[in-house]
Amino acid sequence: MNPGGCPFSRRRFLQAAGGAAGALAASVLFPPLLPAAGGKTVDVGVASAASPAERARKAVALVGGMKSFVSRGDVVVLKPNIGWDRTPEQGANTDPEFVVAVAEMCLAEGARSVHVFDRTCNDARRCYVNSGIKDAVEQFARKNRVENALRIYHVEDRKFVRTSIPNALSIKEWDLYRDALEADKIVNVPIAKHHSLAGITLGLKNMMGIMGGNRGQIHQRLPECLVDIHRRVPVALTVIDAGRVLVRNGPSGGNLADVKPFGKAFASRDVVAADVVAAEKIFRLSPRDVGHIGKAMESGLGVSSGAQIRLIEG
Amino acid sequence: MKTTRTLRRASQWGVFLLFAFLFLNTEYKDNDVLPYAVNLFLRLDPLMAGAATLAGRALIGLVWPALVVALLTAVLGRFFCGWFCPLGAVIDAVDATVFRKVRRRDAVLVSWRRYKFLILFFLAASSLFTLQWVFLFDPISILIRTFTVSVFPALNFVLHRTFDGLYRAPGPIPWISEPVYGLLKSHFLAFEQPVFRTSAFVGLLFLGILAAEGYQRRFWCRNLCPLGGLLALVGRFGLFRRRITEAGCTRCGLCESDCRMAAIGGDVAVTDHGECIGCMDCQAICPEEVIHFSGKEGRKPAAVDLTRRGVLASAALGAVTVPFFRVEAYGKAQDPLLIRPPGALPEREFLARCTRCGECMRVCIANGLQPTWFEAGIEGMWSPILVSRIGYCEFNCTLCGQVCPTGAIRRLPLPEKRKTKLGLAYVDRSRCLPWVGQADCIVCEEHCPTWSKAIVFREERTRTIGGEWRIFKKPYIDEDLCVGCGICETKCPLTDRAAVLVTSRGETRSTGVLAR
Repeated sequence: MNPGGCPFSRRRFLQAAGGAAGALAASVLFPPLLPAAGGKTVDVGVASAASPAERARKAVALVGGMKSFVSRGDVVVLKPNIGWDRTPEQGANTDPEFVVAVAEMCLAEGARSVHVFDRTCNDARRCYVNSGIKDAVEQFARKNRVENALRIYHVEDRKFVRTSIPNALSIKEWDLYRDALEADKIVNVPIAKHHSLAGITLGLKNMMGIMGGNRGQIHQRLPECLVDIHRRVPVALTVIDAGRVLVRNGPSGGNLADVKPFGKAFASRDVVAADVVAAEKIFRLSPRDVGHIGKAMESGLGVSSGAQIRLIEG
Repeated sequence: MKTTRTLRRASQWGVFLLFAFLFLNTEYKDNDVLPYAVNLFLRLDPLMAGAATLAGRALIGLVWPALVVALLTAVLGRFFCGWFCPLGAVIDAVDATVFRKVRRRDAVLVSWRRYKFLILFFLAASSLFTLQWVFLFDPISILIRTFTVSVFPALNFVLHRTFDGLYRAPGPIPWISEPVYGLLKSHFLAFEQPVFRTSAFVGLLFLGILAAEGYQRRFWCRNLCPLGGLLALVGRFGLFRRRITEAGCTRCGLCESDCRMAAIGGDVAVTDHGECIGCMDCQAICPEEVIHFSGKEGRKPAAVDLTRRGVLASAALGAVTVPFFRVEAYGKAQDPLLIRPPGALPEREFLARCTRCGECMRVCIANGLQPTWFEAGIEGMWSPILVSRIGYCEFNCTLCGQVCPTGAIRRLPLPEKRKTKLGLAYVDRSRCLPWVGQADCIVCEEHCPTWSKAIVFREERTRTIGGEWRIFKKPYIDEDLCVGCGICETKCPLTDRAAVLVTSRGETRSTGVLAR
């Protein structure tokens, strides 16, 4: 994604110039998903496959492969959802195989190191263990002798850095995790699921895992805060796990009856585009229905209309 | 003849290391079931076992090891205090370091030894009439409670601060300090800094016990410890006794002046077998090598420092205090914030059995179990209370029931634990942000762990303070589903008092009814 500075001026300009046409397009976003005439388009890969790992690999391949996002020598932060003391079947955390497959792709492109962590909601140890992610990542690292490059660890209070967020919509400063601030690339690996306040949670909301402090307060202006976080810590690639989807009682769930098999994965360099497509495909929701996605589009964080999205299915 | 003393010292070190090992493993280590009997020391304690059995009016299967200790003491004598008590080991270690050069002869009268018996009879009588407060004086309870609530958190704090400082230090310092820190973190330090109510108070009491060593060696064990008193009474006819071959004795008096328990009295050949803890010092230092510990017949033991009047008076006092506690008003109107751990027995039985050892607080994964001050009355001091603003009860965790040494907290299978109500949450509608039209929130609903959420929201119109009508998602509690785990109260973003709170209403242990 766009590095710091003032990266969104062109889009803003286009949006403004589009005028009424843009507004009209935004109001009837889905369908169709047509390439915007003359505008810059963003690819979103939608992959179907039998296993979580295959889905992850296919989705990333559809948008150009991991080489388009991670370069040799990069320090990568891989941010799955490990928020809850739940098993993979309960669909509250990213599937462990999915996480490992993405990590493997990063390493294959020569990433110097891949750090996996999340600031959890339940006890961190229980979340890491029962999500299956700790075990899967450590096992993979052992088996392939990459223990030094691929590490999963718990967040530590001392590594949260008070960070100012220029041009913030809502949070002018917040404690963010040092490793995420210092990483060369951030690969965002959320799971798609129901969320009570936000409606659904996908790529945008997953990045709350790098935030310290009293995150509950974020909820009071969730859409604005998410935009601020993503502006400050841009994500290089978002790969959404939609193998199993928790459709009720999210984000924590628990009841297997609330989990529906969906068998897909979504990938994009633009987190907003990924979320727009996933919201539509999985939940039949338009950005207008999901406050934080709508806000992200409006604020120019990524695509500002569905018309800018090019869908690549496979 | 120094080998037996060396053995005794090795035993004390070994026991303390075992104690430390079990203490450090009283923690969630990526495993839902604790692999060791981390509560072993408490279950070996005959005083605690006896008091809980008497006061709780129930045979407690968990404490069978205490019976073994009692029988061994009857056969061998009061070896426990010299060889096996972890508090005794700590006291001896402090004596050998801090007070190494302090001269302490006769600072405290020998007659003070009788107080431990008076305390014992007092506690026994009150336990007999259902009031159990052995925890105030039981050495094992004191030690584990102190380590849990004060010593370990303080140590953890100091180490954390130190390594955080080094971490921020310039140059190569972090390269050296960080690997050490990593090692400490995986083997010794707490996962997160534990905090406890009463920690300073508990720590000071413990320092008092150690400081008393400055007046007299083994001050606590000689004069105050009721477990020592019990073992003295049980063990004074034990077979393993100090003997002197009087023919070779020069009456130099070295053994008498060196005895840490003042168990050698008047005539150096006379031993108070109830007071002798078999430390073997006298045998090791005797220049003539005429002191032995053996099962052979020896002199009759010295008389116990007990009078019939003393026994009767202390026992009567113990019994008389009970009704005062039974007319305390908290029995009728319990503190609504007194949330007990999942699987806790009904209040009366719970207090009768609870040893106040702090094992449940030590193991509580979210640090939510805290010692009470007076929420359960003076009688209930240091018993566990869930303080949700500090930490909540983790939905899939059953650890507190696994470590309770007397079954005051039952060991619940996970499916039953998930349905056990600690209380019920309610929404303070005068503070809740959506309810007062202040902001969106619903963090409580997000975290609610029951599989069908016990906190639901409804979208309702509310007038904001600016006068404008807006739709807010307002939380409601489904009391059939709520288990009172308190995560909503912990996570409520209001920083002082939460707008969603748990009270003990509907707790399973009182209603006896399981939730759906």
